[in-house]
Amino acid sequence: METVIVAMDQLVKRYREKLAVDHFSMKVMEGEILGLLGPNGSGKTTTINCILSLLKYDKGDITIFGKPMGPEAYDIKERIGVVPQNVAVLQTLTVAENIDFFCGLYIKDKKLRKQYVEEAIRMTGLDEYRKYYPKKLSGGLLRRLNIACGIAHKPKLIIFDEPTVAVDPQSRNAILEGIREMNKRGATIIYTSHYMEEVEELCSRIIIMDRGRNVAEGSPEQLKASLKNRETIKITLPACTPEIVEDLKEINHVYDVKQEGETLLIRCDGGSHNLVHVMGYFSEKNIPFGRVITELPTLNDVFLEITGKELRD
Amino acid sequence: MFWHIFVYRLKELLRDPWHIAWNLLFPIALATAFFLGFGNMIKEDPEAFVSIKTGYIAMEDKEFEKVLQSLSRKGENQVLSLQRYETEKEAEKALRAEKIQGYYLQKGGEIVVVVGKNGISATTLHQIVKEYKNQKTVMLQIAKEHPEKVAEIAERMNHRPEFLQQHVFNQYTSPYMNYFYSLIAMAALYGSWLSSTMLAGISANMTERGKRYESAPVKKMTSLLAGILSTMLLQTVFIGILVLYIEFVLKISFGVPLWQVLIVTSVGGVMGIMMGVFIGALVKRPNLQMVISLSVSMVASFLSGLMWGQIRQILEVNAPVVNRLNPAAMLTSCLYNLCNYGMTKDFYRDLYSMLVLIVAMLVISAAVLRRRNYDSL
Repeated sequence: METVIVAMDQLVKRYREKLAVDHFSMKVMEGEILGLLGPNGSGKTTTINCILSLLKYDKGDITIFGKPMGPEAYDIKERIGVVPQNVAVLQTLTVAENIDFFCGLYIKDKKLRKQYVEEAIRMTGLDEYRKYYPKKLSGGLLRRLNIACGIAHKPKLIIFDEPTVAVDPQSRNAILEGIREMNKRGATIIYTSHYMEEVEELCSRIIIMDRGRNVAEGSPEQLKASLKNRETIKITLPACTPEIVEDLKEINHVYDVKQEGETLLIRCDGGSHNLVHVMGYFSEKNIPFGRVITELPTLNDVFLEITGKELRD
Repeated sequence: MFWHIFVYRLKELLRDPWHIAWNLLFPIALATAFFLGFGNMIKEDPEAFVSIKTGYIAMEDKEFEKVLQSLSRKGENQVLSLQRYETEKEAEKALRAEKIQGYYLQKGGEIVVVVGKNGISATTLHQIVKEYKNQKTVMLQIAKEHPEKVAEIAERMNHRPEFLQQHVFNQYTSPYMNYFYSLIAMAALYGSWLSSTMLAGISANMTERGKRYESAPVKKMTSLLAGILSTMLLQTVFIGILVLYIEFVLKISFGVPLWQVLIVTSVGGVMGIMMGVFIGALVKRPNLQMVISLSVSMVASFLSGLMWGQIRQILEVNAPVVNRLNPAAMLTSCLYNLCNYGMTKDFYRDLYSMLVLIVAMLVISAAVLRRRNYDSL
């Protein structure tokens, strides 16, 4: 039986008149990487701050490791690691000292702490920068230091709040690798990000939040399967006629055909051989065509379909 | 946990160039500038204390006469140069001719001081009467409540050169010293920005670092205490260095044993730190905290006489409440009283005022900071 690490039930948080979290419920199971997605202002960071008991909330219950979470729940806190959105390190301490300092807030045994600090330095690839001060580090290295400070004490639950903002692809890759590694070693992870592709790649389950509510939940595949559009075929067709459009709509699983300039967009709601059927039609009718591209839905499509395309703050 | 935070906070402060610049180098530079500006005036001040030319008219209170004579005994600690007059008219004539700076007489049983003009000498002459009356009251009370102990106490009082020890008037007792006292007060209050920054660093509603701190299994009071004590330690050392620099490098003597000055300045340092915690507890924006801390320190130091030596005295006459509430004025006045008149009632008033202020700020800050989670971050 799977163990529930975090259970949040009907959480409500208001900032005066603004409802930031609206009866939000979720469960985080042991060993999973849960992605928490949502547009800006959807309530992700507020939810995380409530989990950490930094914020008061109006209604709801939060239990972590089976115990009610509260500001004084030190036995729970010592098993949690936090990697905040912005880099939160001490500028006058070196890389190694920063990690040791934050690790020391959790681990009292000096010998054990030393070992943990070394492991965190190795894991985040900061070995050659251990004596550097943060101001000498690049953005990517700073992010890695930020992570090392949050995970050095080997927490059972790690909360990453957009840890890859403004880092180069190499650093991002290293960070994601590190998170996978921590997960393999048994850490349960809550991960928030705006980068759909990394959430899709990393997370075993995803919750999409919008306006403080849980609007969709499932594995990346389940979420994508929930979309009506399962495949988009793009064909360059200089001489498109209304008859061709109408004919294509008759093909099984094709539910929408739209012409955008010289490109024809054919949307299918399922089926596994849509491209074969469409190509068959063009061969049969001897209609010349140019480039053909087929696109499967991405998490980004799911996200935009669920949360809408209008701009947010 | 406490030591872990304490040691790292010390490291953090010692490596912060702004901290070293503002809290150590700037006061030292300012002290040097003051010294270059009027150091010689302190050393060669015409008002510098040598001994006060004082007259007295024969009085019934022979004990007081004895006190005056003991204070005029020749030597390092001679306070008065005494001249006896037979009549008030003679004394008044000598005063007008500026042969004496003041005289004592007894009117209706009360000892009265008549002085030519206000200043350190006049204050000292008044202080002598005040001290004498205090001791006399104590003796009378003992005689009333414990008559058996009168002889013993009187013997102890006679053999204890306490008054002179407490009132070591040295040659640098100069009004210009006030600038140095105010400078020390400014350095002490500068500690406030350190403690407000420290507080911001451990509070989730102020900084991202604070979120990390408050997510850890550390009691807020532990991190607060470790932060305050480490800041206090360093601030005390920095102020101590400033005091030693003034005394030994600039060779401007405070005129009292240095440990007394260091104790008072340490209390001042603690007051500065607590002021920062207090500001940090009430103001949520870290940048604003720093601006307020530095502004309060500067304004308070100005009102204590950092740039215009007379302002504290003017406020004392016209708006004494400002001096009673101004932490820099409290410390300046405490140092002024200690260095000029010793551990008098006024000295203790200033010292206790600082302690009360420290406790008040501590209590209010602790009440505000006790909350462990916030309405908004």
